[in-house]
Amino acid sequence: MQAITPPPVSHFDEMLTWSGASPSHLQSQFQTQLQHFGGATLDAPPAGQSQSQSQSQTLGPREHYVPYGNWLADTPSASLTQRRAQADLLFRRIGITFTVYGEEGGTERLIPSDVIPRIITADEWAYLERGLTQRVTAINKFLADIYHDQAILKAGLIPREQIEGNSQFQTKMVGVKVPHGTYASITGVDIVRNNDGKYYVLEDNLRVPSGVSYMLMNRKMMMRLFPELFLRQTVRPVEHYPALLLQTLRESTDIDNPTVVLLTPGRFNSAYFEHTFLAQQMGVELVEGQDLFVKDDRVYMRTTSGSQRVDVMYRRLDDTFLDPLAFNPDSALGVPGLFQAYAKGNIVICNAIGTGVADDKSIYPYVPDMIKFYLNEEPILNNVQTYQCRKPADLSYVLANMKDLVVKEVHGAGGYGMLVGPASTAKEVEDFAAIVKANPSNYIAQPTLSLSSCPTFVESGIAPRHIDLRPFVLTGREVRMVPGGLTRVALREGSLVVNSSQGGGTKDTWVLGDSGETLAASPAKEGK
Amino acid sequence: MLSRVASHLYWMSRYLERAENMARILDVTQSLAMLDRSADSGGAMTPIVITEAQTEFAETKLPATYANVIAFLAWDKKHPSSIRNCFEATRENARAVRGSITSEMWENINDTWLAMQDKMQMIDPLMTGNEFFEWVKERSHLFRGVTFATARRDQPYHFTRLGTFIERADNTARILNVKYAEESPDTFDETEEDKETDYYRLSAVLRSVSALEAYRDTYRDVIDARRVAEIMIFDDKLPRSLRYCLDEATKCLDDLPKDSGRIPRRIASEINAKLRYGTVDEVFDYGLKRYLADFLVDMERLGTAVNTAYMELH
Repeated sequence: MQAITPPPVSHFDEMLTWSGASPSHLQSQFQTQLQHFGGATLDAPPAGQSQSQSQSQTLGPREHYVPYGNWLADTPSASLTQRRAQADLLFRRIGITFTVYGEEGGTERLIPSDVIPRIITADEWAYLERGLTQRVTAINKFLADIYHDQAILKAGLIPREQIEGNSQFQTKMVGVKVPHGTYASITGVDIVRNNDGKYYVLEDNLRVPSGVSYMLMNRKMMMRLFPELFLRQTVRPVEHYPALLLQTLRESTDIDNPTVVLLTPGRFNSAYFEHTFLAQQMGVELVEGQDLFVKDDRVYMRTTSGSQRVDVMYRRLDDTFLDPLAFNPDSALGVPGLFQAYAKGNIVICNAIGTGVADDKSIYPYVPDMIKFYLNEEPILNNVQTYQCRKPADLSYVLANMKDLVVKEVHGAGGYGMLVGPASTAKEVEDFAAIVKANPSNYIAQPTLSLSSCPTFVESGIAPRHIDLRPFVLTGREVRMVPGGLTRVALREGSLVVNSSQGGGTKDTWVLGDSGETLAASPAKEGK
Repeated sequence: MLSRVASHLYWMSRYLERAENMARILDVTQSLAMLDRSADSGGAMTPIVITEAQTEFAETKLPATYANVIAFLAWDKKHPSSIRNCFEATRENARAVRGSITSEMWENINDTWLAMQDKMQMIDPLMTGNEFFEWVKERSHLFRGVTFATARRDQPYHFTRLGTFIERADNTARILNVKYAEESPDTFDETEEDKETDYYRLSAVLRSVSALEAYRDTYRDVIDARRVAEIMIFDDKLPRSLRYCLDEATKCLDDLPKDSGRIPRRIASEINAKLRYGTVDEVFDYGLKRYLADFLVDMERLGTAVNTAYMELH
């Protein structure tokens, strides 16, 4: 029997709650099942939990997790273990891998896929979808603006040097016409839920966001291994993502029946599986730079029956590698002359060149302002409170409260050049404060978020692990997305790092059908 | 279809076919080892000679025993055509174009490579036996079956098959070449003892191309060197004969884009015509060794022409 480790009270857990949030009859019912299932002692919080938690509080599933919780409690652990092994085999066999750099030119690894889903209610998703549509629409308007009229700079909302001094601002793109003003056709927005139960946008990934293939494969695997679960609850489908993506790409040009290709850096790229998968699902050619050439400012691919014109390119290659003539001259992955063809409007590149300026940490704090400025609306999704050290008031706040904050370099990535206040010694905080004081405009600070958790299979059984959510937002003639996204989970206890290269895994993400109605009558319904 | 994709598919199936042929050669080598009465086990070098791996094998500085030769050709990471490396190359080529083959084809190749990695842990190279060679052949058969049953009959399919038949023709010619060229001139005046050994050698050659049953059905007579050459070169129904391979390669080329394929199609038709309208007597008059050497040169011309026509990134 698997033991379920209850979540600590300091986190918001997606499935389980200590409070009275779920009806008491559900709590007792679930508790009985849990005890039956794992024998965990759940009527008291584990030792060392905060005193604010009274002995009378019991653990129960949130209402939208009741059908799943019942199923979990009823399913023998041997059957789960067996099906988890099947899932591993399936992923290995299909070759759903990512490449870890540095060992003999790259080693293929599997991304662990957890079989306990993350479930989102219909209402919550409706809210997220509205917010994402609004956010991505505003960001596209912002990108079109800064590469043309720069109204937002003229209005004084964002200091000009914040944009023009930004390394992600591509000066070559100024004045270049992008069809329909759609710069970010594909956006992956990273969202977390804090311990206040609210969602916050952590980052807008506007360059070449990846992970959508794991979202699709997780669902395929879950449906194959646990078909009975999909009969208990209406889970909204995600399998049509490639069709929406193709539609988005086709809509990016005014040409009838355009030739669309997917540009990959090649099979040594960490996301190569995803590139092949999406190209195959969309039925478009997967090309490498060497397959393409430019002649008379038009882009062609080399085929077995001669050259063929390319109209739309979904590129999975960073800006600087796209064209050695226009950007990094050492790039062997790109296509010489591509930028010139692009600037003349002879090919559409998705995402457009230069989108990175809008997902930079120094620009992130302005997204709510963009929404107000371009759409005249109040932002629906929360930004994380961000202190910009270049502002004197913010700087003094940051210096005074550094031990509670996360301080980041504006252009930093991958956890470098940053300080996590609560996890640092007084000496480290003091040293970092000196660095920030020396060059304040290079730093921002945010409160330390406590990512929500979700029960996850680990070696010792089932235990809470921190998760995030990356929905994929597509912008064609309209904004579209499939319900949900990729849920990443930090598999190490206490870890907040969900990145796959650092011990992260993934979960299937379920968005329930309207108001989370269950198909099959469950005992939980009887109490209503 | 992208030129690069065509190239990956073509080499994918060439490497797989090469792995299978290597397994066939080694399987036969092993059974002949049991008959080898000579003290120096000179026959052990035969598979090295067939696959032109003399230089690579010399570098290992290992004595030319049957066990060493088999271990080298089956498992050695440094030998580009070892079974291990052929499987890896097959899988790498397939991975580069996994979107252009059916998922069943990809999963089959990926499975083979995963199982191969397990076998590398489990099998002592010096003890490699018939069971392993049977497995290699079976994986190759399975892939062809999966391809036959799942692939659309369009360009990727034709390039995949083209690779198979070009590689196979090359291989059958090499097996024949060594059998006849090494031992003696093209005349066969042998002692009775030689003839007895020869019976086993010839039947081993036939078995290596799965032609023993076909031989019996066709000739219903004792195994004779001339007829072995005849069936392996000219038989139009034996799937590993030169004639059959060239018939199929010609058909594959006919199904590929015609404008860019003019030259390889012409060369393939020329080679095919020699096989269609040749006889075994002519071959022996000309000299079998010379005939096969010419054939291998022709095949190299064909390979180069295929590459230039469809796969080079001009």
